[in-house]
Amino acid sequence: MKFIVSSSQLLKQLQHINGVINANTVLPILEDFLFEVDKNKLTVVATDLETVMRIQMDIEAKETGKVCIPARILMDSLKNIPDQPLTFNIDKNFSVEITSDNGKYKVMGENPDNFPKEPTADDTTSFTMTATALVTAINKTLFAVSNDDLRPAMTGVFFELNKDYLQCVATDAHRLVRYKRTDVSCPKADSFIVPRKPLNLLKSALPDNEDEITLSYNSNHLFVKHGTTQMSCRLIDARFPDYKVVIPSDNPYKMVVTKSDFQSALRRVSVFSNKSTNQVALNISGSELQLAAQDVDFSFEGNERMKCQYDGEDITIAFNARFLIEMLNAADSEEVRLELSTPTKAGIIKPTEMDDSEDVLMLVMPLMLNQ
Amino acid sequence: MEETPKVLRKIIHIDMDAFYASVEQRDNPDLRGKPIAVGGSPQGRGGVVATASYEARKFGVRSAMPSKRAIQLCPAIIFVKPRFEAYKEVSRQVRAIFERYTDIIEPLSLDEAYLDVTIDKQGIGSAIDIATAIKGAIRNELGLTASAGISINKFIAKIASDMHKPDGITFIGPSRIERFVSDLPVEKFHGVGKVTAEKMKNLGLHTGGDIKKLSEQELRKHFGKAGSFYYKIVRGIDNRPVEPEQETKSIGAEDTFPYDLTKLEEMELALEKITETVCRRLDKHNLKGKTITVKIKYSDFKIITRSKSFSDCLNDHNSILAAARELLEKTEPEGAKIRLLGITISNFPSLLSKGNGKCAPGQLNLF
Ligand SMILES: [Mg+2]
Repeated sequence: MKFIVSSSQLLKQLQHINGVINANTVLPILEDFLFEVDKNKLTVVATDLETVMRIQMDIEAKETGKVCIPARILMDSLKNIPDQPLTFNIDKNFSVEITSDNGKYKVMGENPDNFPKEPTADDTTSFTMTATALVTAINKTLFAVSNDDLRPAMTGVFFELNKDYLQCVATDAHRLVRYKRTDVSCPKADSFIVPRKPLNLLKSALPDNEDEITLSYNSNHLFVKHGTTQMSCRLIDARFPDYKVVIPSDNPYKMVVTKSDFQSALRRVSVFSNKSTNQVALNISGSELQLAAQDVDFSFEGNERMKCQYDGEDITIAFNARFLIEMLNAADSEEVRLELSTPTKAGIIKPTEMDDSEDVLMLVMPLMLNQ
Repeated sequence: MEETPKVLRKIIHIDMDAFYASVEQRDNPDLRGKPIAVGGSPQGRGGVVATASYEARKFGVRSAMPSKRAIQLCPAIIFVKPRFEAYKEVSRQVRAIFERYTDIIEPLSLDEAYLDVTIDKQGIGSAIDIATAIKGAIRNELGLTASAGISINKFIAKIASDMHKPDGITFIGPSRIERFVSDLPVEKFHGVGKVTAEKMKNLGLHTGGDIKKLSEQELRKHFGKAGSFYYKIVRGIDNRPVEPEQETKSIGAEDTFPYDLTKLEEMELALEKITETVCRRLDKHNLKGKTITVKIKYSDFKIITRSKSFSDCLNDHNSILAAARELLEKTEPEGAKIRLLGITISNFPSLLSKGNGKCAPGQLNLF
């Protein structure tokens, strides 16, 4: 089999799917790309058995055929080849020869029949949304996903579908983000949990624009299609915690602060916090917010005060500063509202302004104050 | 939790005071307040003091001293036969106390351990308070005293625990470390024995400060590899982690053959049988590992091993056998005379990282 392809276009496409591949896998063929050539079309597939990604591009080819090519060495060589047409020649033994203006390179491929089969998209339900809407939903939730393999349901983002909206929820049991879009319409009420890795891959493979993407799902898999790029992944088979019951219906104390000022103050003060908790205590009274962190052993202390608008009784409440900083990143407005009730109950963070079609709600549990 | 590596650690070194002697005095009121030595009696030949009570130490009696010498220094000394089972039991009780405060415990002996309390399991707030709580529990629950040293690494913590013995607590914070080490006599350095100390003194090196004047190259010239360790340590740098002992580090099986194997098919058949045994043992311990090692012994008794690590666990018969075959084939075994083959699985994902969803103390949960 022989085909000709642009080196830079091939590299660009492969970079979208290369992240699927794990190094040193138990099955060596999982370290390969599957190349499929059919009538001037090249399809390349990468898989880790859980997530499969494929791209398609135009090439020059007279024949059809398939081969597995080791991903790492191919990527390393493409990165160093100046933009030009490359000729791939594959013989019966799956030996791959690449010819460029600079020379010839050879690598042993593998029998494509051994490459794992993709899940089939049977019995799927589909809906569409813009690429930017999905990328935004991932960006606003993925950071709150848990790493705890002992609670698999929380190691992915919970997609809740409805006729009038799509809602994405993530939690690690200490904090929770709920991101809602009312400009997405799903055929029926439904839900599934998507693992972290495919979402991370989508985030970098999808453009942040108005391109339409199609999501299809069945009971085991999610399929995402954007133009000639496709991804499928296994869904997490577990029950997402009943998060609605932990959202406080009314936190009476409300503070509004400038987001960037609050975030910078947290960054500066938390340098001096106890690193096992990252604890920063917020003391709010009148129109003043005080931030305090300390590490008794090292005699570290950080204190700052800043202006805020506050409607409520004086309160001292402590949080993990890293949680607050990450959550503030997910608020796009200039100011944020922090709604509190008692020092041991969940705080709510909301942007003060949002697009009509979007809604973000973030919950964070406090730390018990030391002494 | 992902933490930046620059985070200062909090390490406690706990050392039980005159451990064997204190247990004996606790269990036998007649011995309290008296100079005693646990160890071989002076009647027996070559009897040696294992531990002396503080009352005996006043007379100059020390560990590892011949018992005959001890009786010369302190004629009233009472010799007590060691009861190692009793000490082991107390040591287990002490460890149970440590476990309330941290999961990262590295025992050095029955009476000494390093604890990493950077993650403050109980949310006590400070390492000094944790050490105080541990000492209190040892006193109240076990009727014994311990000394604690607290710092940001093992080296300083260990020296600190020795500074205010018995029943002492010593904290050396980051700002005091460099000066502290500069003033430290070289024989106090962990790992510096009498011979090395002598050699250092002959070179005019009496304190940490003296060592600090030498370059790493010069130190390596005089002390070999240890020179680099001294170079770092006098600058207060000791990155050795507190290493909890792992229960099982590897699981394997091997087979010695009645005649040397020369054919690849025979070898592969042997690997298959060994794999079965390995899988059975892994199942029994409920373990899965990421690294496989194949051991080959030839007819001339030469032994080689070949290993490979994977990003995920080798979790079934087929994947272990495939990896073992691949490693064997790389040694070009056809025609070689092989006496023994073995397969070992190691690199078990640690239980500590499994619990990474466990969060900081005091962090309240939604669910
Ligand atoms: Mg001791």
